[in-house]
Amino acid sequence: MISFLVLLAIVVCFSAILALALNFQWGLGGMVNFGLAGFYTLGAYACALLILKGGANTFVATLGAMAIVAAVSALVALVTLRVAEEDYFAIVTLGVGEMLRLASLNEDWLTKGALGLAGIPRPLSDVVPAEMYSYFLLGLSVAILLGTLWVLKVLARSPFGRIVRAVREDDLVAATLGKNVLWARVRIFAIGGAFIGLAGALHAFYYQYIDPTQFTNIVIAYAFMAVIAGGRGAHRGTIWGAAVVMVLLEGSRFLKDVIPALNSDQLAAIRIIIIGVGLILLLIFRPQGFLREHRLQVDLGDAATIQR
Amino acid sequence: MLQTAFNGLITGVIMTLPALAVTLLFGVLKFPNFAIGAMMTVAAYMTFALNAQLGWPLLLATFVSAVAFGGICIVIDALTFRPLRERGAITLMVASLGLGFILENIARFIYGNAARSFAIEIARPFRILDIRMNREQMITLGVSFLAMVLMYLLLTRTPIGRAMRAVADNPQLALVRGIESPRIIRWTWFITGMLLAAGGVLIGMDRALEPLMGSNYVVAVFAAAILGGLGSPLGAFAGAMLIGIVGELSTLVIPPNYRIGIPLVVIAVILIFRPQGLFGQPHIRK
Amino acid sequence: MSELLTVSALHAGYGAGDILKGIDVALPAGRILTVIGPNGSGKSTLIKTLAGLLPARQGEIRLAGERLNDLSAPRRVRSGLAYVPQEYNVFRNLTVLENLKIAREFMGSGTSLGEEVTTLFPELSTRHKALAGNLSGGQRQMLALACALTVRPRVLMLDEPSAGLSPKYMGEIFDTVKKVNAMGVSVLMVEQNATEALRISDACVVLAGGRVRLNAPAGEVLGMKNLQSLYLGDARETTS
Repeated sequence: MISFLVLLAIVVCFSAILALALNFQWGLGGMVNFGLAGFYTLGAYACALLILKGGANTFVATLGAMAIVAAVSALVALVTLRVAEEDYFAIVTLGVGEMLRLASLNEDWLTKGALGLAGIPRPLSDVVPAEMYSYFLLGLSVAILLGTLWVLKVLARSPFGRIVRAVREDDLVAATLGKNVLWARVRIFAIGGAFIGLAGALHAFYYQYIDPTQFTNIVIAYAFMAVIAGGRGAHRGTIWGAAVVMVLLEGSRFLKDVIPALNSDQLAAIRIIIIGVGLILLLIFRPQGFLREHRLQVDLGDAATIQR
Repeated sequence: MLQTAFNGLITGVIMTLPALAVTLLFGVLKFPNFAIGAMMTVAAYMTFALNAQLGWPLLLATFVSAVAFGGICIVIDALTFRPLRERGAITLMVASLGLGFILENIARFIYGNAARSFAIEIARPFRILDIRMNREQMITLGVSFLAMVLMYLLLTRTPIGRAMRAVADNPQLALVRGIESPRIIRWTWFITGMLLAAGGVLIGMDRALEPLMGSNYVVAVFAAAILGGLGSPLGAFAGAMLIGIVGELSTLVIPPNYRIGIPLVVIAVILIFRPQGLFGQPHIRK
Repeated sequence: MSELLTVSALHAGYGAGDILKGIDVALPAGRILTVIGPNGSGKSTLIKTLAGLLPARQGEIRLAGERLNDLSAPRRVRSGLAYVPQEYNVFRNLTVLENLKIAREFMGSGTSLGEEVTTLFPELSTRHKALAGNLSGGQRQMLALACALTVRPRVLMLDEPSAGLSPKYMGEIFDTVKKVNAMGVSVLMVEQNATEALRISDACVVLAGGRVRLNAPAGEVLGMKNLQSLYLGDARETTS
């Protein structure tokens, strides 16, 4: 049971990083990333391939994954620079995400397609004793999560963060601020992308085996639920949101003990239905999140813009 | 080459119905509904139940399930989108994503992941001008063009159709012209549901029924609708044909798996050079 | 003289705080009432609240004795309170004829002004097939008026009908309003071009800061030199 909790906590950590990245792009920057699953896939595969084919060590591979996802994100933001409309941007990201996922499935020479990549080494696995490793990975994940939180917070409070907020509040006002703002959009999306890449790398380390089925669009639903549950724009709230969502999600695996009559496909379907229903209920009844007061003291500047 | 172009034409024709649905819905409700794929899937399975399981003729089964699904769409809207109407496009998009998961997995829960097909006689393909075609493709052509004509008549010749265009054009003004927008929104969902049901059946005839059958078309359908200028029915038709044909022809030079990349590139190019679409008029957004 | 439209102690606004802070206005049957005031005085808010696009937070709106507060915008139009917004007052992607049709189709049964309307706007009948978005500003305003009049309203509300029009059309619009009034339609109009509007009006209400500052016969207001500079000064600068 303890080991299950440790593993669950690790999952919560990288889900929280993913949610923080989404929160940064959407909650702060107003750019909705509906291709999250694809970027996440890219991060995990980039990390795994840099190690397995590129011979990089885990640290370099992680940085590489972050850089690659950031670069692709920047490219997407650059191409859609003139598209201020959030709905068009969402469709483009959806399509890009789909492409990235398809690439992981179809580029057999690189990704081994549906077979997936196995034997991904973990950071410092030769130093840390095997029986202690999950505790070490948990510690590492928590440290990385806190580091991510810190970086994104500092960014949000910097002068850059103020431009970011201006971009989100009002494209017109932002446009009058000049070209820098367009670049701010690119940077927001790229920085968010880097952290999606980081979450992807942790995912690869945790599972040691990745295949395309791990990265369906349902990932987007998790991340959106986490961000909305935590209160959009709030960092700490997002982490709580991710924790709650992942605990519920992993907990729902026990459904099969409760309803043994169902086969595994049906169970998987029920879990996803529950997630979908949860997401919609959350949007309808709790759009401001569960941690409103908390969030207010975390980031006063966002209180007024939640209802957009 | 000619054969590929013809296949592309069929793909394009299949996409016209969902592209019309997208454009209609976007016009009236002002958000892209990502659940259209799953909606087509569910409607196709409904038709499958009537056709393959109860033994009804496919045409009758399609008609009944289209009407029923139109009604279901009104209920879906009341439960999910109506409470969120004032919250902006992003919230509605996220909700549509969640709705898509729900619908797709209801289909998966009941029918599993295995591919199924409608109970129709397999007719032998025939050749015209050295192009191989089959009866299903002829039905597809016929149904789509019929639907296009009916949609055109509906939108231009009936009060409800005109009101739908009016609400899409200027919702506030529609109110002061005495148009009760909730009623028009219900009609829009009903017609959207029928279009998606017909589209789902056509996809099921072209390929097979499986839980992802509709979702696979989402990006391409949105590309078609954007290409035509979201909100323009004629544009949706032209956009769908173009995406279908170009997408199919592209498989001559790029791996077929990446066909989906073509609409994506098309979207990117349009958004950069002509954000209002090929046929759309620049519209004022709040 | 019977009061057709009465507004009493009306409060309304957006977000926190009221823009209208207790407005009392009465429109007698068969008359033209013009509401003037500087920018931000609440003129447009008043007309939108009457039309039902903005809820009344306090106070009462009555049309011929019937309380309108709880009626939706479409139902207020059907009960005879027509409204022509300032901008975007025609469906631009619909043709002229479709605009005219749609104006009638959702109004239920009402006496149609049909013929009379076409004689009022001869210019429109030649352009039935044009998209409304392709009309000139003046023609659009004419079409908007025609749509509002298609089903005979009891009260016609106009939000700055002359805004952005060339002098030729401006005169024509006010002439048309006068003719419409002569057909038995009472008019409530918000205007920046106070002088021209007051010439055809019977009464005038001056708003400032969300309150009624003056309620007087139009002719009397036209004669007050200093009052004009006080309330209309800034407004006239921006429109002339």
